[in-house]
Amino acid sequence: MAQFILNGQAVVAEVDADTPLLWVIRDELGMTGTKFGCGIGTCGACTVHVGGRATRSCTTPVSSVEGAEVTTIEGLSEQGDHPVQEAWQHLQVPQCGYCQSGQIMQAAALLKDIPEPTDEEIDGVMSGNLCRCMTYVRIRAAIKDAAQKMKEADNGQVA
Amino acid sequence: MAKLRDEANGSAGISRRGFLVGMTALGVSFGFPTAAWAAMNPANADGRVLPDDGRAYEPTLWYSIDEAGQVKVNIIRAEMGQHVGTAIARILADELEVDWDNVDIIHVDSAKRWGLMVTGGSWSVSQSWPIYRQAGAAGRTAMIEAAARHWGISPKACQAKHGYVVAGQRRISYGELVAQGVSRQFSEDELKALPLKPNQDLKLVGQAVKSLDIENKTNGQAIFGIDAQVDGMVYGCPLVPPTRYGARVTAVDDSEAQTVRGYQQTLQLDDPSGHVPGWVMVIADSFYAAQKAAQKVKVSWAAGEASKVSESDIIEHGRRLLKDAAQGAILDTGNVDTAPVFDQASTQIEQEYLTHTVLHAQMEPLNALVFRNEEGIWEVHSGCQWQSLTLPWLAKALDVKEEQVIIRAYLLGGGFGRRLNGDYTVPAALASKALGGKPVKMVMTRPGDMQFDSPRSASVQQLKMAFDADQQVVAMEHHASAGWPTQAMVPSFMPAGVNGEKYDPFSIAGADHWYSVGAQRVRAVANDLANASFRPGWLRSVAPGWTNWALESFMDEAAHHVGQDPLDFRLAHLKAEGRNAGEGPIAKGGADRQAAVLKKAAEMIGWGQDLPQDTGIGIATTFGQERDMPTWVACAVQVHVDRSTGLVDVQKLYVAVDAGVIVDPNGAEAQCQGAALWGLSMALYEGTALQQGRFKDDNFNSYTPLRIQQTPEVKVEFIITDAAPAGLGEPATTPVAPAIANAIYDAVGVRLRSIPMRPADVKGALSQA
Amino acid sequence: MRKRLIYGVCLVAIVGLAGFSLYAWHPAIDPITPPSADQFPQEMIDQGEMLASAGYCSTCHTSPGGQPYAGNYEMHTGFGTIYSSNITPDPETGIGRWSEEAFIRAMRTGVSRDGHHLLPAFPYEHFNKMTDHDLKAIYAYIMTSVPAVDEEKKANGVPFPLNMRWLQAGWKLLFADTAPFEPDPQKSDQWNRGAYLAEGVAHCGACHTPRNAVGAEQYDQMYEGAAIDGWIAPSLTPSNPSPIPWRQQDFYTYLRTGNSMLHGSAAGPMAPVIHQGLAALPDRDIQAISLYLSHDEPSQVDRDEALDAEFHEALQSALTDQATIPDARINEGARLYATACSSCHYNGQHLVKGRPLLTIDSSTHLDAPTNLVNVILDGLRADQGISGVVMPGFRDALSDAEIAQIAAYLRHTAGESPWPNLQQQVTDVRQQPRFEH
Ligand code: FES
Ligand code: FES
Repeated sequence: MAQFILNGQAVVAEVDADTPLLWVIRDELGMTGTKFGCGIGTCGACTVHVGGRATRSCTTPVSSVEGAEVTTIEGLSEQGDHPVQEAWQHLQVPQCGYCQSGQIMQAAALLKDIPEPTDEEIDGVMSGNLCRCMTYVRIRAAIKDAAQKMKEADNGQVA
Repeated sequence: MAKLRDEANGSAGISRRGFLVGMTALGVSFGFPTAAWAAMNPANADGRVLPDDGRAYEPTLWYSIDEAGQVKVNIIRAEMGQHVGTAIARILADELEVDWDNVDIIHVDSAKRWGLMVTGGSWSVSQSWPIYRQAGAAGRTAMIEAAARHWGISPKACQAKHGYVVAGQRRISYGELVAQGVSRQFSEDELKALPLKPNQDLKLVGQAVKSLDIENKTNGQAIFGIDAQVDGMVYGCPLVPPTRYGARVTAVDDSEAQTVRGYQQTLQLDDPSGHVPGWVMVIADSFYAAQKAAQKVKVSWAAGEASKVSESDIIEHGRRLLKDAAQGAILDTGNVDTAPVFDQASTQIEQEYLTHTVLHAQMEPLNALVFRNEEGIWEVHSGCQWQSLTLPWLAKALDVKEEQVIIRAYLLGGGFGRRLNGDYTVPAALASKALGGKPVKMVMTRPGDMQFDSPRSASVQQLKMAFDADQQVVAMEHHASAGWPTQAMVPSFMPAGVNGEKYDPFSIAGADHWYSVGAQRVRAVANDLANASFRPGWLRSVAPGWTNWALESFMDEAAHHVGQDPLDFRLAHLKAEGRNAGEGPIAKGGADRQAAVLKKAAEMIGWGQDLPQDTGIGIATTFGQERDMPTWVACAVQVHVDRSTGLVDVQKLYVAVDAGVIVDPNGAEAQCQGAALWGLSMALYEGTALQQGRFKDDNFNSYTPLRIQQTPEVKVEFIITDAAPAGLGEPATTPVAPAIANAIYDAVGVRLRSIPMRPADVKGALSQA
Repeated sequence: MRKRLIYGVCLVAIVGLAGFSLYAWHPAIDPITPPSADQFPQEMIDQGEMLASAGYCSTCHTSPGGQPYAGNYEMHTGFGTIYSSNITPDPETGIGRWSEEAFIRAMRTGVSRDGHHLLPAFPYEHFNKMTDHDLKAIYAYIMTSVPAVDEEKKANGVPFPLNMRWLQAGWKLLFADTAPFEPDPQKSDQWNRGAYLAEGVAHCGACHTPRNAVGAEQYDQMYEGAAIDGWIAPSLTPSNPSPIPWRQQDFYTYLRTGNSMLHGSAAGPMAPVIHQGLAALPDRDIQAISLYLSHDEPSQVDRDEALDAEFHEALQSALTDQATIPDARINEGARLYATACSSCHYNGQHLVKGRPLLTIDSSTHLDAPTNLVNVILDGLRADQGISGVVMPGFRDALSDAEIAQIAAYLRHTAGESPWPNLQQQVTDVRQQPRFEH
């Protein structure tokens, strides 16, 4: 049995301790926005936030997140309007869309830590997220777009 | 199973099971009438199709208009990243004269009424263009007629605009007209006779638009096949035998799996359709339990013949076949009698080019949910690119009539041709059949998916060119051998060559190029060892992905042979004459259009400029997929080669495209970016090898497609012409690898003739130079 | 904690010494009727609770998933498996019938109420440094507040003759420092408070001080670092190989949060020390321990954690010492790292709070790859390292060869010479019993 906070709600899943968080979220708790790609932490499709960090849920046993706060793409923002999501929509990043939950979660974490990333920093952090549709050019642009919007929003608040 | 705490219970967000309920509320008139989930709207949360507002009128098979004026456009193509629904629906909406806000995209199930259902070959927009325009014109005509009748005036006095029919001061909405009752139907001949808007009057086509499926693909609401669920389903995780064909289970021991909580049983699949011989399916309460148990089930197999076959055997076999001139089909390329010309040639060159096995590795591992519903119909819930090919397979596997099987539409987490071959639905169906029709959701692990791939076969190609004393090209030959997907899966699709031999057009297209080279012989040879050792597949751009690798590398070598600039050399042979003049609405303009994109790409990259040390520019051009649907593409790249490490840095990747009318410019650009990067990926980074019947790599720890780190600056420019639209999903894949090889040659003077070109290969070539 | 105790044959040689027999013999102390709660002032009970926590008694006296303090925590030693005792106030299976005197004797000398010698896995030579007052407080807490659990201790798997309890007495005579704590008059009160806590209840040396062949702490190498429970407890002295010396505020941040941006996260056996143990101590005590460990004087813990100039220099030089990062296209370790690790470990020149920069992390600079490999294999749970944050584990995802490639890459970028036989070391670490808490 595992208990944790999923998108702000306390959840309990009666599963073996070694069950990867990914399958608990998808199959037990019915949130399918988080995707399965490789199961070994090398594609990023399953990226969620744990304690605010981008975390590969396929290699994270559910016992590890006991008591922790887990956020999935469904919970990143109330209305699907996190600056990263908006940039993604604006620049029409997704093709098939399958990798994009992971890309967005990873990018959101990146911008929290490095608010104005360079191309090199984007590449360094995002290289664990495969996109087989190869939307990389737009991912880079969208991250910068989101960074810019977030900066403007911050400045706006200060003014 | 999962239990939510009380406070979480009833929260709408937390359970997707509500999805099913929502889908059953559907009252649609199309698809399989009695069952739920007949269709999927990618713009709505969970793919739900909302019921019509009041009555709906269907001017043709392809759409309906309801009393609110909402238009539901039926899409038979699979959505796998092309935003195909957006493109196709815009064609219709434009002609119908409705606003984009009033359009819904409906991906339909595999019911017979839709005719041939296949999404591949970059055909979707090209083939839909005439049909959906006609359909739109039909609705527009029906609305105008109805309004004219309503007002008692002549239809000629009426105009359709933004979902209204207008006559002077009067106007009435399509919705109101539908509410009054419209029943106009059109015969085939009537449809053909309908007037279409002139291209310049098109308002939606060619304009920027937000694809309707984008939002759900950023908020977790998009539903892919892997997300399909029905109550009471069990999960299946297959154990894939050691060879694709001929494997037989000799023993199964599941005693250790018994310790896994949720494990149910292990099924040995009995497959009358022959797609999955020797498969074993582990059934459990959850996918994780199935996967875990699968690791503990011990299966012994007697492997098929392929367990003795490796990549080098395939290539060697290809060489042997090519050596035998009697093998294979000769394509109709005009004068195919090259031998005498070669005999009299002043000089000639000859080279061999190789490509290695490439896996689809689409991000969504293969999966399918299958069950028999209350009406006794077998429902297959899975993303699929070729329903019409897959249905008969399923019927055979289930031993039922085709009418008793239906494939439901889901988003595909990448297709790239893998899901043209619907073989992965068969084991799920067999497992459900073995369990009496109980819902079985099979999900493959990544290694399972990759080992079961129908990869792009390794290929061997030999090219020859003859020159006269003036160094003019007088003849050319292109001999290609590879595994043939079409032979393996749809032999009926194979045309005959001029020598009467059948061939797989998807495995030779591209070699029948638009250069004028005098006598031209193109020979396609099936690599039967490849066909027997694995199931070759159609992979993004299929043959043009390898034929152009050889052709466009060879054109560079030929230019150097005669001491000409590679750009000039190509342009000199791209003449819109004879069979290269181009005919029909799509191909019109022929080689001239190819020359235009080539010049454009050269201009984009600054062809001919001075470059720093070890830096070079390469160029290549192709016509995308097929001669009767050419998408003119040219690619120019700039690379830097590190001589000490063999690392090739692609600094610029520019692509110029002429696909005629561009329906959805944003989607078109995305497709070309993605395709070009696939080309780059296959040129430098990805590739595996057959090793005793298995693929050397089966997960992303060692299979290494392009990642963002290796992504260069990519620019795509379109030359917009008034030709009817060609396709865009694949063509930009095809010129990239040869452009890179040509650039490497330009940078450091070594010629690579095998892809992928890995650093060690570059280093090796440099050390021999 | 101390599972890997090494008993030498020299113990056996001691047998027979007559005087020794006398030394070794301890009488039983009479059982009592379990004391009632009102016998102890609440203040004392509270103090005891804090100390019991700071000494992370429950860590070793609770089996995974078991009842607190009920014992049977399994420890794998070179000489067999041992189980901790039930120290709940259960009269039959716990210490319910122990008098305060018996409890203090056990804590100070490692002798059970019935007179038998306890195995030195129990760090009484540290608890001996505690004041009577503090020991009594722990007694008060256990007797009044820990729920009694009826759980029989499992038999140890220590073979004959090492299982002869009186041998422990000889070990004690020869190796245990049983001197009481003496404050150093040269040092401040705060430093002495830190020393008292670290040497006593927190028993830092039990893991961080190397042991001799028979498993005794080598006091002349206090805190120089040691192997423990399949992990390395790194040196707490300047001999620590970290490229940036541990400052007082680094100790403080680490001990308080489970992570230092400059040195890494508290993983393995250290995680419960911080999150279940020291967490109970007030800030001033953690500051005192940090002062004591850093040998700084006076206190600097109030200095801003922001990077000051001097430190910045050290950091810069550490960062420039990083070797050039090999290209991921030709270095397998670099490629796998970019694939599986860099999404969280933003290596390079970026120091981001709470994201260990592995090139300066202690795990890449230690002589053995043990800690790094352990963390790659099993990750970190939300209650380890930084609270609420996890690291996935790659035990089932990557092969030994792949993990070795990643470790070699990190070692290289950290500017250190390669670890020898790395892949074999990965295999060994993978096969050792997993540390569980
Ligand atoms: S599924 Fe988790 S990283 Fe690929
Ligand atoms: S959008 Fe298809 S895999 Fe990224």
